Amino acid sequence: MEAQSGSFFARNEFLIRRLHSLTGLVPVGAFMCVHLITNSSTLGGAEMFQKNVDLIHSLGPALPAVEWAFIFLPLIFHAVVGVWIIRSGESNYFTYNYVSNFRWWMQRVTAWIALFFILYHVFHMHGWFHTEWWLKNVANENTGGHLFKPEHATSSAAIALASPFKKLLYVVGVTACVFHLANGLWTLGITWGIWTSPAAQRRANYLCAAFGVGLLAVGLGSIVGVSKTNVAEAEAFENAQLETKAAAAKRAAELLKKESAKAVTPTATATKK
Amino acid sequence: MAKQRVLIVGGGLAGLAAAMQLAESGTDVDLMSLTPVKRSHSVCAQGGINSVNELTRQQGDNEHLHFDDTVYGGDFLQHQPPVKEMTEWGPKIINLMDRLGVPFNRTPEGFRDQRRFGGTLFKRTAFAGATTGQQLLYALDEQVRRWETAGKVKKYEFWDFLGPMLDENGICRGAVAQDLVTMEIRTFPADAVIVGTGGCGLIFGRSTMSMACTGSAAARCFRVGAKYGNGEFIQVHPTAIPGADKLRLMSESARGEGGRVWVPRTPQDPRDPKSIPEAERYYFLEERYPKYGNLVPRDIATREIFSICTEDGLSVEKDRLCVYLDLTHLPKSAHDKLGGILDIYEKFQGVDPREVPMKIFPAVHYSMGGLWVDYERTPSGGLKPGSPKNQVTNIPGLYAIGECDYQYHGANRLGANSLLSCIFSGLIVAPGVQNWMKAIPGGPAADKPSSFYEAERKKHQAAHDKLLHRTGGGENPYLIHQELGNVMTKAATVVRYNNVLRDAYATVCELQQRAEKCSLSDTGNWTNQNVVFTKALVDMFPLARTILKGALQRDECRGAHFKPEFSPAGIDASASPTDRRRLAEEWCDRFELNTAKWCKSTVATLGADGEPQIAYEDVDTSLITPRPRLYGLVGAEAIEQVWNERQAAKKNGAATNGSAVAATAS
Amino acid sequence: MIQAASHDAPSSHDHAPPPATFTVRVLRQDAPDQPSYWEKHTIVRENDMNVISVLQRMAAQAETADGNPVTPVAWDCNCLEEVCGACTMLINGRTRQACSALVDKLLVDNPEGIELRPMSKFPVLRDLMVSRARLFRALQKAKAWIPVDGYYDLGSGPKQSPADQEVAYPLSECMSCGCCLEACPQYTKIELTKRDGETDAEFKARETSAYDGAFIGAHAISQVMLFNTHPTGKMNAGERLDALTAEGGIQVCGNAQNCVAVCPKHIPLTTSIARAGRATTLHSLKKFFDL
Repeated sequence: MEAQSGSFFARNEFLIRRLHSLTGLVPVGAFMCVHLITNSSTLGGAEMFQKNVDLIHSLGPALPAVEWAFIFLPLIFHAVVGVWIIRSGESNYFTYNYVSNFRWWMQRVTAWIALFFILYHVFHMHGWFHTEWWLKNVANENTGGHLFKPEHATSSAAIALASPFKKLLYVVGVTACVFHLANGLWTLGITWGIWTSPAAQRRANYLCAAFGVGLLAVGLGSIVGVSKTNVAEAEAFENAQLETKAAAAKRAAELLKKESAKAVTPTATATKK
Repeated sequence: MAKQRVLIVGGGLAGLAAAMQLAESGTDVDLMSLTPVKRSHSVCAQGGINSVNELTRQQGDNEHLHFDDTVYGGDFLQHQPPVKEMTEWGPKIINLMDRLGVPFNRTPEGFRDQRRFGGTLFKRTAFAGATTGQQLLYALDEQVRRWETAGKVKKYEFWDFLGPMLDENGICRGAVAQDLVTMEIRTFPADAVIVGTGGCGLIFGRSTMSMACTGSAAARCFRVGAKYGNGEFIQVHPTAIPGADKLRLMSESARGEGGRVWVPRTPQDPRDPKSIPEAERYYFLEERYPKYGNLVPRDIATREIFSICTEDGLSVEKDRLCVYLDLTHLPKSAHDKLGGILDIYEKFQGVDPREVPMKIFPAVHYSMGGLWVDYERTPSGGLKPGSPKNQVTNIPGLYAIGECDYQYHGANRLGANSLLSCIFSGLIVAPGVQNWMKAIPGGPAADKPSSFYEAERKKHQAAHDKLLHRTGGGENPYLIHQELGNVMTKAATVVRYNNVLRDAYATVCELQQRAEKCSLSDTGNWTNQNVVFTKALVDMFPLARTILKGALQRDECRGAHFKPEFSPAGIDASASPTDRRRLAEEWCDRFELNTAKWCKSTVATLGADGEPQIAYEDVDTSLITPRPRLYGLVGAEAIEQVWNERQAAKKNGAATNGSAVAATAS
Repeated sequence: MIQAASHDAPSSHDHAPPPATFTVRVLRQDAPDQPSYWEKHTIVRENDMNVISVLQRMAAQAETADGNPVTPVAWDCNCLEEVCGACTMLINGRTRQACSALVDKLLVDNPEGIELRPMSKFPVLRDLMVSRARLFRALQKAKAWIPVDGYYDLGSGPKQSPADQEVAYPLSECMSCGCCLEACPQYTKIELTKRDGETDAEFKARETSAYDGAFIGAHAISQVMLFNTHPTGKMNAGERLDALTAEGGIQVCGNAQNCVAVCPKHIPLTTSIARAGRATTLHSLKKFFDL
């Protein structure tokens, strides 16, 4: 029994499942909170949302690395292990119809919904990959992919979600994700031994529920915000801002050119030192 | 030489204690049980386990008093050295069980808590909630699992012991057993076989015992020549919850915690029991036994509850016999302490005993009798440690321990002593068995030719096949069992009459013949419980007949064996002092005569014709002289006075003689 | 005499008078490799019947509702007081002990009759009898015992506060009945059959390794917490936590919390699981960082 038997997966099952639990909270869950809060700023109008998007995109060329390291890879890990976990259990809610058993089942149902929704959502807005070939041939206007344009954050989002069917899809998807996170937070507390007694678990349950309701409001707020957007106005603002930005960039480039022209090497050597 | 093995049959407290002790000292053990050992009947013991402890010691208690209480409670029918040894081991056993992790109840300071149980005036009983037996069994089960994991113990669960294998010299060489799932019959060669298979309550149909307590294993030893001792001594527990499938125990601890037994003074008073005023309640135990109150010894409580219903007609209900056991006046702390057993009542009766007095009635509970076993005495009156004679039956190499031996409880068992006797006998059998194995006449079991074992196996296989394919007969084993239970319960429980016993014996013989004609509704060879039950039923009859015959022949009252025709009457309280003195002298004369005649173990052997042959064997009462049990007897004070004077005189006589001898010697 | 105490008292339920007879449907199976089939029995109702007495009547009757002779249903039982854990089965679909399942109550909830099935998470041996060897194997894997020095007299056990005893005692009441495992959505059935040419020992070894690789279950997790809080058992807490973090360990728990809801002994299993969650977290961190 002590023999090191079984696959890598079997031998590291504890670690893998704890990481699964952890990634659900950080970074995936945390990202979702940030993401939904950011998106809910659409409620504050195109300017506010664009500012937030710009802040994120100020990472520039580092953004894909950050995205993959802190969002996509943990998400993929969470999803792959999650699918394996789902396949390891068998629901018996119809025999033992307790609330927590229902939640066990719902955690798995929402996991599937979230998985497909997020796959679609990332394709829909982000396009999955940003290589030239991919964007040209796979994720484009015709396939309904890569519709979110960071520089036209509000308007492109509003266009992408124009169809009521898509809005509904997003409502369902966001609700599932929020339930999955809030309920997952509660089970995480048990898994890691943060709340142990029934009373503590009950109190934690209230907190997690409140968190879930709050986050759901934020999430649905984003959809409302996007829906309320006047595309033309948003576009106008965005274009204006782009122009201002372009002008500013131009000025900056000129300034830089001037600086480098009269540049003296000591600065460079100093940095080398 | 092949490695020697011991086969233990039965995985209750006794069997597990023996297994762990043997495994620890290096012996390989096969452990066989009808059920997974964790499900053994020992789990049903609720109340606690007795021993002297530091607290009672300072109140004047000591091992000798526990010993005295045990033999006095057992009406002096047990050989005293094993009992003395057991009570001396008591504190050590409790300490051991404590170390093994039994969650004994604790005092605020963290010591083991104790409670008082029937038949003693000291708080000697350590307990773990209301499931002490379960907790003790689990602790031993865990230790045996530890040895199983280490490879020293091999378990055979769901196996039925079919009988010991005796060689040409009558030495036990192992056993034949049957897998209850595959129905495979095979031999288990062993250098010693230890039987710890518990009581035989199922002979009485419904009892407080578990479904595995058929007595068949003991009967199968009895059939091949093992002696059976004190069979007629069956303890009937005073308080049980009557149920359709079994009678569920209501532990004595309910009374220990302050539960009061009563009946309405008006027969079958229809009022809600809680609305019956104190003055109209008859607390008959408290009134009749002011010293012990509700905690009188079991046999007395049983008879009083029985007679208040049958003779005084004060049963609470008209159609069924029962009295109130009232806990409703107790504080919540007492209810909490008793949690487990109160839940049992609520679960099986649907009524909350914290709110409504429980209804209870006596039920068959424990077999004091069992396989006759030997012991080796030390000069000081204890047991010789490691003697191969300790716990051995009259068949060399075949040992018996726990409830299925006859050794520790005499005519009546004291509450909370059974757990002690089971663990004790299990622990002490081990070194004896190991010494036996060092020099087995004829060499170890593994050296026996395989033809010997094969012949034994074939014998049992043939009997099994024959039973399986028996045609005709048409008798139904389950119905015969019911009939047997009814007869036995009527004739051989609380009160016994010779004419009833005689009739019952005849009926049981008839039933036995009918049982031989049982047809099986299942003739398959896979997990056939029908054939297993039928075999067990057939093996109930030798013991049933032994119980009845022993009871019939024993014309006296002793412990659980009560015959009104032979009950010593009290003496006339209104007589003049001189008459009273004379009557008391006569009473004591009669008592001494009766002791000389009947303070003897009943030892049965099974004749070839199936008739139990009963002999009587002297009891070693050298340590404590038998004295009358005077609880509640009219004129008890006068009798006691005479008795004490006689004892004092004897002592003086002995002392004078002793000094005279000493003087001569010098 | 004593049996005169059988009941003629009216049933305590205020509902319509209980039926004179009722139907029992039993899911039978002749042997492990055989198909299962339903069988219907008619039983005459008596007062204070439980499912055990129903099965006893069925064995004595030995015929179906249609009057066909049948073999008695095989089932497991011992104490009939709900302390041995043997008679666990599915009664009207739910896992529980047959001895504490009172017929009148079952008929109130489900007047059509009673349905009996074997536990679904353990291999059926025959009819309602299953092999729960996996459950006991889990106790071996978890080292669920106090590793004392020996059985000679070494004095008293460790002192323990009443508060600690009150935590330990309920956990120690676990009778290994398997209800928590039966109701657990993460505990799935393992049934192996012996291969041709495989010896008993080889088969046993293969079975043990399959058991060890699958979920250990609430039952054993709770036992680990029992021993890990005992003053002596604590000394080997790490070994037991290793068992809980091995393959099939506590990580498989999905927090459906059915275990605690179906436990006939009301053992705080989910508390044990959460405590074990905390202990394994700390244990793993300590091991990883060599603290």
